[in-house]
This record gives sequence, structure tokens and C-alpha cells, in this order.
Amino acid sequence: MTVNVFAVPVFFVVFRETLEAAVIVSVLLAFLKQTLDGPNRDQSTYKKLVLQVWYGSALGLLLCLIVGGGLIGAFYGIGKDKWGATEYYWEGSFSLVATLIISILGAALLRVAKLQDKWRVKLAKALEEKSVTSAGRKGAFKRWCEKYAMFLLPFITVLREGIEAIIFIAGVTFSAPAAAVPLPVICGLLAGFAVGFILYKGGSSSKLQIFLVVSTCLLYLVAAGLFSKAIWYFQQQDWNNIVGGDAAEVGAGAGSYDIDRSVWHVNYGNPELNGGGGWGIFNAIFGWTNSATYGSVISYNVYWIAVIIGFILMRYNEQKGHLPLMKAKKQDAPVMSDSSADGSGILEAKKNTKPTTTVTPALGREISE
Amino acid sequence: MAISLSHFPILSVLLLALYSLAEAGTVTYDFNIGWVRANPDGLFERTVIGINGAWPPPTMEATKGDRVIVNVENSLGNQTTTLHFHGLFQNGTTYMDGPGQVTQCDILSGQKMIYNFTVEQSGTYWYHSHDKGQYPDGIRAPFIIHDPEFPYKDQVDQEFTISVSDWYHDEMVSLISKFIYKGNPTGAEPVPNSGLINDTASFTLDVQPGKTYLVHMVNIGAFAGQYIWFEGHNMSIVEVDGVFTEEAEAEMIYISAAQRCSFLLTTKNETTANYAFVASMDTSLFDVLPDDLQWNSTGHLVYNKELALPTAAEVAELNEFDDFTLVPYDKQPLFRDADQTVQLDVIMDNLGDGKPYAFFNNISYVSPKVPTLFTAMTTGENASNPEVYGEYSHPFVLDRGQVVDIILNNLDSGKHPFHLHGHHFQTLVRTEEEAGVFDGTNSSQTNYPAIPMRRDTLVLNPNGNLVIRFRADNPGIWLFHCHIEWHMDQGLIATIVEAPLDLQKSLVIPDDHKAVCAAAGIPIAGNAAGNTVDVFNLKGQNHPPAPLPAGFTPRGIVAMAFSVLAAVLGMAAIVWYGLADMGAATKVKEEQRIAAFSAEQNSRERQGSSDVSETKVG
Repeated sequence: MTVNVFAVPVFFVVFRETLEAAVIVSVLLAFLKQTLDGPNRDQSTYKKLVLQVWYGSALGLLLCLIVGGGLIGAFYGIGKDKWGATEYYWEGSFSLVATLIISILGAALLRVAKLQDKWRVKLAKALEEKSVTSAGRKGAFKRWCEKYAMFLLPFITVLREGIEAIIFIAGVTFSAPAAAVPLPVICGLLAGFAVGFILYKGGSSSKLQIFLVVSTCLLYLVAAGLFSKAIWYFQQQDWNNIVGGDAAEVGAGAGSYDIDRSVWHVNYGNPELNGGGGWGIFNAIFGWTNSATYGSVISYNVYWIAVIIGFILMRYNEQKGHLPLMKAKKQDAPVMSDSSADGSGILEAKKNTKPTTTVTPALGREISE
Repeated sequence: MAISLSHFPILSVLLLALYSLAEAGTVTYDFNIGWVRANPDGLFERTVIGINGAWPPPTMEATKGDRVIVNVENSLGNQTTTLHFHGLFQNGTTYMDGPGQVTQCDILSGQKMIYNFTVEQSGTYWYHSHDKGQYPDGIRAPFIIHDPEFPYKDQVDQEFTISVSDWYHDEMVSLISKFIYKGNPTGAEPVPNSGLINDTASFTLDVQPGKTYLVHMVNIGAFAGQYIWFEGHNMSIVEVDGVFTEEAEAEMIYISAAQRCSFLLTTKNETTANYAFVASMDTSLFDVLPDDLQWNSTGHLVYNKELALPTAAEVAELNEFDDFTLVPYDKQPLFRDADQTVQLDVIMDNLGDGKPYAFFNNISYVSPKVPTLFTAMTTGENASNPEVYGEYSHPFVLDRGQVVDIILNNLDSGKHPFHLHGHHFQTLVRTEEEAGVFDGTNSSQTNYPAIPMRRDTLVLNPNGNLVIRFRADNPGIWLFHCHIEWHMDQGLIATIVEAPLDLQKSLVIPDDHKAVCAAAGIPIAGNAAGNTVDVFNLKGQNHPPAPLPAGFTPRGIVAMAFSVLAAVLGMAAIVWYGLADMGAATKVKEEQRIAAFSAEQNSRERQGSSDVSETKVG
């Protein structure tokens, strides 16, 4: 037998996690490049936001290394996989947050195509200009999130994927020779980066609108899968609690799932087991699971229905200037009132009902400084 | 709670003498079965099933040839019961064998039933409830049948009976509901809370120097096999499961749940020390080893009451005597080649309700609506057709006088002690663990011993196989099952229907048996489903849950289709929205906004940067 230096599951899990992170990061970078880079555009804002993306990624990576290291340390120290006991609650929570952010950002990205050049100004305004203290705490937090979306999204994505990968690799190395780990980790990282780079390049050179539509579709596919998976994780953690261990340990067959919640279960293609192979990637992009629950199927469909309704409402608002069943806005309202909200493209539905706020004078100059 | 048995042997000898005088006597027991409280391991007091208001239940004794009458009254209040006399052939009285819904109806609380049979065998047996996994709640005890012609009687000064058992602190009803449960998909069996020797945690046996004792050892436990060794003494095996053997020296024996072994124990000539003996539960059967589990039970041979009782020493390895090598005392030769071969694969798996079950081949046993014996008695000629007994009682019909082989392949990684009712079987093959399935075409595997060992309960090794052979010389309904009570509850049972047409001719089922059925509302005629008109119509029969679906079910396909449709529609909405133009209202608004923005910027440039400091950035 040859010496095992390539743990296939490790490759797949690293590739998959890297890919998920790279999709987000590359879409963001491509978007920034499309909208802000180039002659006659806002170079400094572009650089600033690109840096935000990289800072977010880097900090996410750093934090996941620290948390992962701590967890592995705790594993050896306490002799118990503390993470494993509640793993799915964490994964589910991360997935929910990721779904939320991707959904909001996806809509924002798609609106860019329409706003075209105006977006450059708006983005700068939305992300850089507002006073954090200009409204109540809730408003302040929201604006803070908007302002640093380019930081937060890669940060949370990289953190989530990174911790997942570390925990998995740690788990594998407890049972596999350590020599089998580095090579697949590097290969997985490279493959993930490569796909991300291709996405970035492709995104940068193709027609913006097409790119945005395609990448938004991709993002929403991921988000729908994540939302469905979040529900699945919570339910699976319930099941693990009932079984009194990690149900994935019993394999892909009977006992790995709660029959009373199952919509379908096939004994192959378990994305949670040994990295899942190709199924793991299928899972990352389309939310595939070999063991669907009522919760996961319904949530997947509900998510898409919500997306469809959301876009219809947004379109309606664009055409009529107000949402269905709501009063049309007075034309003489302060024009500046909702520019900030519109600029970031976040949840149209709420905006028109919000009290108007006075925006602090813009800082076009500061951005350019 | 130390029990001194020193007066028992004297009693036994007296009784033996009496039995010998009175040829073919009658032994009568009145058993009122009910709940009592007991704390045998000194760790936990619980309700247990006792007899006549006491626990442990009495050891039954009789002499070969005796008629035994057991008047049973069920006073449990909340449970049915039955009694099975383990290892007795019940030749001609199959309805006295005891398994509920097989040879009789379960006895409801408040009902009475008489077990009345003659004992044509001798040796070490036991009795226990054979109803819904009930006996580990306490209703189990040894049953010794003395034999005036016992081949080693001249060597024996005294005899003792020692039972070993695992012990649970919870009642079986509650344990089973947590065991056959979807949250226990691997079927991890409940682990006992302690081990008992003669139903106590501190058993001592007073012995005298220079004597030879005959010890009847019985494992009356639910689950755990037991390794047994006596410090400083060897055992000389003379009987297993009621079959006398050539003497065989052993330092350590293994007796699984339901197995028995009698051996001669010769005491030392001096009384300078007392000796420990150990019954060690086979922990390889346990999925988990709780920290507080003491799997070794220690008893003592007391030579001198003044001296201390030593602590048992640790043993380096468990190396038990291989019962397969024993030679029956009667030297009964290998039966001729089998007329019928039954092959059973032992499988543990889950069914459609997600719970763990046990299977012979693909069938997990479920009790028929009509007890199998009553079906055999009331279906006329069709009683020879296994179909009438229902698929899930897993019936095999044998003709009288046939020689039958049972090939048992263990596709599970656990040990299983298999028990055949109504027979001793010859043990032809019993592999080590991981030997795989039996191959009858491989001559190296069919090199059967000329004088095979016989017994009624045999351990099947993990992922190994065994072959047993017996003669169908005892018409009746006989279960073949794993004697780990958990696995019985999971359905690891097959039914041997032996010479059913002979039963119809010879058997008269007592009225009190029928009364028990009537009281419980259990039908006593027709096929397994209770159909007396068309015995091949099994509509309505009891059945296990459906198997787990192997792949996508219609439900899954519909769900998948809707999910794909939702995703496609969703993406269509994205494309539609993304490719649409700006929208009239937005266009107006944007134009206004850009204008206002420019205007504001202009005005701010005029104002200067006085308010820049108010804004926090970064």
C-alpha cells in the first residue's frame, strides 16, 4: 500500500469551504471593480472598499484560526469535542446569518445594474457618509452594518467556512495520519481560489448586467440552500440530542435521521460525511441534502417564494413609487429623505414606512481625500 | 445479605432419598405471581416480580420421572404472564411450554392456569416468564431435576445450586420503551446496573475440606454472559443444559444467558484460607461501560468462618473453556444427514418507524393473533402448510422423524446465545468470530464431529456461524430464538412447527388454557390472522412496521420537484427584475435626487467644511 498523503475528504471539505468563501469574496470584488474601478470613477472609494473586503476576509480567517485552535486545544484539554456536541446549532446560526446577508446584498447588487453610474455615488454615500449617531440605536446599528457590509460579509463567510473546515480537519486528523492532511488542504485551497479567481475575472469582463444577474442567481441559490440547511441543522441537532451523539457517526443509513421528520432519505450523497465528495459541493451550491426534512424542504420553497414576492414588490415600487396597498408617497416629500436607504438597496418594503431622517451633509470630499 | 446454604444440601439429600423411594412422585407448586419490593444488589430498592409475596422466587426441584404441577395465579394487576420451564422437552405436552401467543395465551391478571407435565430429563434447568420480555423483572429461578442414575453420583458428597444474573434497576416495560425507540437507532441494549450471584451481592458458600461438591450453575440473566472462575480450584464439568458429559477440567467457564453448567468442585484438605470466586459479566456485549458498573460479582467458598474473605484477584485474560469440545456421556453419535435444512441469517436493522429490530433473514418476529399451537390444532390438513401460521411468526414445518439442520450465520457483530425449545441439538459447527457465513460445499467446514456436543442453548460468535442438528421426535410448537431478552423483544425468533398433524391426533388442550384465552379475548381457532374460513387469507394479521424506503419515495420526488420549480421560478424572478429597466417612479425619483444632490453639494461648498467634524467615519 502506498503511503497515505492525500486524505480525499480533507480535500473536498477544504475545496468546498474555500469555494463558498471565494464565491462571496469574488462576487464582491468583481462588483466593486465593475462599479467603481476605471477612469473617471472613484478610485479611492474603490480601494477603500476592496480593502474592506480583504480586511473582512483576513480578520475572518484570523478569528477562525484562533477559535478553531482554541476548540482543538479544548478538545485535547478536556478530552471531549465540545464543539461537536452543539456543532449544528452553531452551523445553523451561521447559516441563517449568511442567508440574511446574502439575500440583502443580492438585492442590492441587482439594483446596481439599473442604477448604473449613479450607484458609484450612492455606494459611496451609503457606505461612507452616514453618521453613526444620526438616529436611534437600532438605526445606528443598521447603518453601521450597511456601511461595513463589504467588511462584514466576507468576515462572517470566511469565519464560518473556516471554522467548519478546521473542525473537520481536526476531526479527521484524530483518526488519520497527520501526513495525509497538508497536501489536500493546499490543493483544496488552490482549487477554491482558482474557481473564485475565474469567477472574479469572468465577472469583471462580462457585461455588468448579465454578470450581476447570473451572480445574483448563484448567490440566491447558495442563500436558499443555506436557509434550508440552517433549519436542517437545527433539526439535526435535535436529533443528535435524542440519539445522544453525532447521528452522522452511524453513517448515511437508518438512524442518521429522524424518520418522523423525513421527506426523503437516500443512503448516498451525505454531504456531512467525510467531506461529502462531490455531494458536498452540490450541497454548498444548491443546498443538496441526502436527508431532507419537512423543515428543510418547506424552508427552501418558502425562501424562494419570499424572494419572488420580494422582487415583485421591488419592481412594483419602482414602477409606482409605492408598495401595493400603501399610499403613494407625496411628491413634495424631502427628496433626500430616503436616499440613504435606497442607496444601499436594503429591503424596500420597510423603507417607505420609516420616518424620514435628515442625512448629515455628504462628505464627498472626505472620501476623495 | 449473606446466605448460608449449609443446610440446603442436607435437605437435598433427604429429598433425594425420598424421591428415590417414591417412584414417579408428584411435585406440586402453588405460585401466586405478584409485585414485591427487593434490593438484591444493595444499591437500589425496586419493585420486582416475586412468587407468593417473596423474592427471589423458589428454586424448583423434582426427580426424573416425576409429575410436576404448578398452579399459577397472576396477581400482577398490570401485566400478563406465563411460565416457561427452560430446557424441558414437554414431550406430549407442548401446550405446557409457556411462550405467550405460541403455545398458550398470556395469562391476564386475576387468571389462573395449571402447568402439569412429567419430567423425563434430569440435570440443571430453570424457569422463567416467557411473556413480553418480562423475566428480568425478577421472575426467574433454577429448576433442578435429580437423577438417581446420575453417572457421577458416587463422587458427590453434596450439591449446590448457584445462579448468576445481570440486574437492572428499572422495570422492563420502561427499559424496552427506551430500547426499541427511534432515538436508539443502533439498538444499543440497556446495560445492567449490577451482577448478582444467587440474587445477592455478597454470596458465601460454606464448604468442608476434602469433599466433592456438585455445583449446578445457571445463568438466569437477561443479557450478559458470565465468565466464572474459582480461585485455587478447578471445575470438572459433568453436565451442560441437562446433557451429562465426560468429565472435563476447566479453570474458567463461560455461561451465556440461559445456559447451565454443572461441575464437580473438590475442596482443599485444609481450612487455612477462604477463597473467592467470580462471576464476571461479558462486557463485550455492552455498548457503553458506565463508570459505576461493577461487572465482577464475587462470592466466597468459606472453609473457616473465623478467617477473612479475600478480595478477588484481577485476572490477566479471560480464557474460557470451549464447550464445543465436550463429549456427551451417552456418546450419542452424529445423526444422519439432514432431511431438511433451515438457514437463518441474523441481522440487526431498522424498520420504517426508525426503531431497531432484529431479523432472521428478512423477518422480524411478531406474535400472531392466534397462538401458533391453536392454529396448528384448528387448520386441519392445512396445518402442514407454513402459510397458515403467518409470515411474521417465521414458521418452519417439520415432519415427524426428520433430521433437521439449522445453519445460523451471524451478520451482526455481537454474540448471540441461541435456544431451541423442546430439544437438545447436536453442535456440528461453531466458528470463531469473524469467520463469515457457513459454506456447506466447503469440505473443510463440514468436517463434523463423530460424537457432537449437545445442549439447548449455544453461543453464536460475532460475524461467525454455527450449525446444529436435531431429530424431529417431539411433536409441538417450539421457538428458536436468541436468549438475550432484548433481542427477543426485537423479534429474533423463529417458530418450529413439528408434526402438526400428529398434534391434531394426539393433543387435547386443557380447558383452563382455553379459559385463559377466553378471558383475554384471544381467538383460539384459525390461521395467524384468526381467519377460520379461508386459512390462506391472512388479511388483518399482526405485522411489523414496513421497511425503510431504500431511495426516493413519491413524497420525496414531489418535494424535490417543487424545490427545483421554486428555485427556477425564483431565478426567473431575479432575471426578470435584473434585466428590467429602471421603472418609471424610480427614474423620476433618481432624477430629482441627483439634482438635489448636486444642489446640496454646491451649497455645501459655499458653506465650507464647518460641519465635517460631526461625522464619524471608519
